[in-house]
Amino acid sequence: MGTELNSVPIIKMSKENKIDAVFNRLRTENKTAFIPFISIGDPDIDTSLEIARTLIKNGADIIELGFPFSDPMADGKVIQKSYERALKRKISMEDAFSFIKKLKAYRDIPVILFTYYNPVFILGEKFAEGAQNAGIDGILVVDLPPEESAELTKYIQDKNIYQIYLLAPTTGNERMKLILSYAKGFVYYVSVTGVTGARKSLPETIKSKVKEIKEISSIPVGVGFGISSKEQARDIGKCADAVIIGSKIIQFIEDDINDKRAIIRRIAEFSFDIKSSL
Amino acid sequence: MQLPDKKGHFGEYGGRYISETLMPAVIELEQFYKKVRNYKGFIKEFNYYLKNYVGRPSPLYFAERLSDIYKSDIFLKREDLNHTGAHKINNTIGQALLAVKMGKKRIIAETGAGQHGVATATVCALFNLECEVFMGKKDVERQKQNVFRMELLGAKVNPVESGSQTLKDAMNEALRDWITNIKTTYYMIGTVAGPHPYPLIVRDFQSVIGKEVLKQLKKLPDILIACVGGGSNAAGLFHPFFKYSQVKMYGVEAGGCGIGTGMHAASISGGAPGILHGNKTYLLQDEFGRIADAHSIAAGLDYPGIGPEHSYFADKKRIIFDSVTDDEAVKAFQELCRLEGIIPALESSHAIAYLEKIKKEIKGKTVVINLSGRGDKDMHTISEYLSSNTRKK
Repeated sequence: MGTELNSVPIIKMSKENKIDAVFNRLRTENKTAFIPFISIGDPDIDTSLEIARTLIKNGADIIELGFPFSDPMADGKVIQKSYERALKRKISMEDAFSFIKKLKAYRDIPVILFTYYNPVFILGEKFAEGAQNAGIDGILVVDLPPEESAELTKYIQDKNIYQIYLLAPTTGNERMKLILSYAKGFVYYVSVTGVTGARKSLPETIKSKVKEIKEISSIPVGVGFGISSKEQARDIGKCADAVIIGSKIIQFIEDDINDKRAIIRRIAEFSFDIKSSL
Repeated sequence: MQLPDKKGHFGEYGGRYISETLMPAVIELEQFYKKVRNYKGFIKEFNYYLKNYVGRPSPLYFAERLSDIYKSDIFLKREDLNHTGAHKINNTIGQALLAVKMGKKRIIAETGAGQHGVATATVCALFNLECEVFMGKKDVERQKQNVFRMELLGAKVNPVESGSQTLKDAMNEALRDWITNIKTTYYMIGTVAGPHPYPLIVRDFQSVIGKEVLKQLKKLPDILIACVGGGSNAAGLFHPFFKYSQVKMYGVEAGGCGIGTGMHAASISGGAPGILHGNKTYLLQDEFGRIADAHSIAAGLDYPGIGPEHSYFADKKRIIFDSVTDDEAVKAFQELCRLEGIIPALESSHAIAYLEKIKKEIKGKTVVINLSGRGDKDMHTISEYLSSNTRKK
């Protein structure tokens, strides 16, 4: 892996971040963005690349890619297992960058790297250079609140990479204002008090929280954690600018781990269904 | 300079690297603790339980035969004589009082060897709190007796099957539970790590160890020695002495099979700065920033990180960190049994073992070693180790 990928140069022509472009377009169309999440390298690099392409082909507006980490403290069982499967082959950040370059060569939709901080911290400035080179548009570091973000901001601010921040049901109004003052691209509202994972029902408070966010800021709001059906997606889509779905998609990989064709087929159908409902 | 600073940093270490859902809870705890920290009523209540329930002050025992051998004055701070058999109870008493005053009715904790789990289950019984302890499946198997103790005390023990199935994974699972049940639950961290204010809170509650030594010894020691996993017993002994620059401090990490083998738990001697479990500190990790599995014969030291304040003082060279191997620790364990009639915990045996490494330096000096726990829990591990070594020979 690695060598052939360098032949696909990604040149950033416009200064506008692609995440903004997507939300601007969808806003004029009065539509909600679909942001699927998968882990890089689950069940293996090639299959996960095919899954990512399938998601794009079937309606993903932005794609969120998880960098597998040994200690995913904010993740539920499904994503934990996904990372464990991916980590059986040691995946470096370089591999992740190569993956993203390949994906971008297929279609240049916005890519958000979802990661824990340590693999980023250990690379420091080299991370930012590699991320820019790979064409990453946003980075969501789940264990990096704005209070500790200065170090990363220093590296990415001149590279047109947005740091995506989280808001939670526990976040009070004052803190919301603080975080929203840092937010770029969109803000990710964590819909449930808990770890990642599909839920049968979602809390009623989502709509009022999204409304509260929108009263403070005009930045697009994406809602994720727990969403697993097109009914839920449609419902959330009425108030949010983006619907983020991870565990439900990854569950398809777990369910049909020995049948690659079935994984791709089921994810394609699911993705198409979700996008059609938004 | 006061450490940590307002944002919970010890120089570049410490801080708060956690997901947003947890931030408000951690800020609430920080603000609450700031209020009660110097409140006389709270301190009085804490001291009451330390005296009448834990059995403090713990003796500072002059180890005569050990002193003879090393031609120095060696004192053992007998944390092993505390209720539940280790220093861990100092912290859980303090944090249980905090939880009660914050109106939290459910307590969760992580545990490795089970000592912090037992200390948590104990205070939960005492203060009538619901208790769930997360423990790596491997640790559940090798520390069956402590699991049984926790259950007797009314706690629910949840075996953790993810990752390496040891202490770090137990902490991951405790954090996941906390994210899910944040409104009702207090997370009782057992060492001087985690997001701010935990390193500060645990250090404060454990500092009773060093404060007592200051009173009991009636003079300044030349050298302090403590074993370091996460580092709570070391922080407790060292902290009151930082202002006395003439007092030298040694933190002894678990060298496992030797630092060169990669099978160890020595974060400072064999790790690099990184971020895990809410703080920036020295960690065992691979070149890609993934956390490595720790190894030590002492389950309580079997953790790939260390408290951020220790990382800070390691860089400043105020604390000298070094390591001893499993073999050296077991040898010291046997030595203390036979010389002083004291069966130490395998963790504390690392501190005892360090005497041999600095035997030239300590001649004629006054040395205080934190005997952080007793070895009853380690009978099974020791007997297995000794019989497999006999077989090898």
